[in-house]
Amino acid sequence: MYNLVMKDLKLGVNPMFFAFPFLIGALMFVPGWLYFLVPLYFCWITIPNMFAGFRSQNDLMFTAILPVIKQDIVKARVTVIVILELLHVGVAMIYGMITFRLYPHLTYYFFAPHMGFWGLCFVMLGIFNIIFISVYYKTAYKYGGATTASITGAMLFAGVAQWLGVDNSFVSDTFNGTGADDIGLQTSILFAGIVIFIALTLMAYRIAVKRFLKVEIQ
Amino acid sequence: MLALDIRNLNKKYPGFQLTEVSFQLEKGYIMGFIGANGAGKTTTIKSILKMVQIDSGEISILGKNIAEHEIELKQEIGYAFGGIDFYTRSKLKTLTEVIKKFYKNWNDETYYNYLRRFKLDENKKIAELSTGMKVKYSLALALSHGAKLLVLDEPTSGLDPVARDDLLDIFQELVLDGEISILFSTHITSDLEKCADFITLIEKGQIVASSEKNEFMESYRLLSGSESQLHQVKERLISYKINSFGFTGLIHSRDFDPSSDIKATTPSLEEIMIYFAKKEDTYV
Repeated sequence: MYNLVMKDLKLGVNPMFFAFPFLIGALMFVPGWLYFLVPLYFCWITIPNMFAGFRSQNDLMFTAILPVIKQDIVKARVTVIVILELLHVGVAMIYGMITFRLYPHLTYYFFAPHMGFWGLCFVMLGIFNIIFISVYYKTAYKYGGATTASITGAMLFAGVAQWLGVDNSFVSDTFNGTGADDIGLQTSILFAGIVIFIALTLMAYRIAVKRFLKVEIQ
Repeated sequence: MLALDIRNLNKKYPGFQLTEVSFQLEKGYIMGFIGANGAGKTTTIKSILKMVQIDSGEISILGKNIAEHEIELKQEIGYAFGGIDFYTRSKLKTLTEVIKKFYKNWNDETYYNYLRRFKLDENKKIAELSTGMKVKYSLALALSHGAKLLVLDEPTSGLDPVARDDLLDIFQELVLDGEISILFSTHITSDLEKCADFITLIEKGQIVASSEKNEFMESYRLLSGSESQLHQVKERLISYKINSFGFTGLIHSRDFDPSSDIKATTPSLEEIMIYFAKKEDTYV
């Protein structure tokens, strides 16, 4: 499994996608922006490009020839996706902290990058993973439909969450108002988000393995 | 000991199926696996590598069942697929660095020896290699991880005669010490006349015959005669062609009476393949 992850990191994934979180993360410096968009760039750009690369390089056939089992092929690929997601969110979180220092007196219309907001981002990426990974492994090469469906799912969640954040006083208060200063509340939302992310991603892995075992590698 | 043992392999696709495919390859020999395009060669090979899910049947490599010992056996198999490329924009060096990590018996010294011998420059990209060089690179990889069974799917297709001859010499050299066995699928039958020990012919997903090469060729006769002579043997012919001089047709040696006045010769592998393909056509 470790070798397969290294194979993806060395061969399959363009190094640009590792620099990307640092570049796109800088959008966190836009004052009062709609910060849900920052991790969404991963879904919009990195995922389709990366999987187009796997397909054009015949990665599936290449991997199938190696002495590995199909379960590990999926496990490694999911790991690579998660590594990139963590890199995106982690970098954005750090940039978010800098944003608070840069503009200390800003009034946020959308979610401010407090820890609770990052919990929501983890849920969004969890939704993205469960749809993308499970749909993709029906064929292990068609990434178009899987990308569209998963992006739709993630954006719907982000849209609804943000709408509530603007429209609903309780949600707004929890994430941007008085709740923002409650470290206990914020960390528990972040923690809950991470748990949901892990649960959805594990579920995605299980469905993907079940489907990939039936895939014929042509 | 059998390097490869396939028994009663069945795999059904819409419009095509492998039916009861069985053949055995002795350790230390080269087996040519021939058949027309679409006859089932690649599907059989992919079944060996567990790339397609077989409906039923058993595949053993070096005495072990692939279904139970997949990873262990894949360490012992080397592949070369003619015409399929991976990571063509990567340098050989980069690709090798990644691949070698997967094999516990990888030997760098052997690898560099083969690179030198095959005149491969590891700073070149896959895309910069000629078709023959790509096959040689696959062979270098396979031999460096100590593969005992080489599965080559049309390795000589698309090569010029010089490159093909060069590769065939290498194949023959590899099996000399009796440790390595080669399953070699191709539709360029002249290659097999030069280097194969055994021949397995597949047609429409079924094995027609699998035997020692000369025995295989001797078990058929290529007849040529006038149209009136055709009637004497027509029923027993596998298939035949009519031309302005009369007919030519393929027959099993056992069905042919040598005392007959019809001219009979030993067919080439190509002729056997063509007449079998023609037989299938007439029934369609």
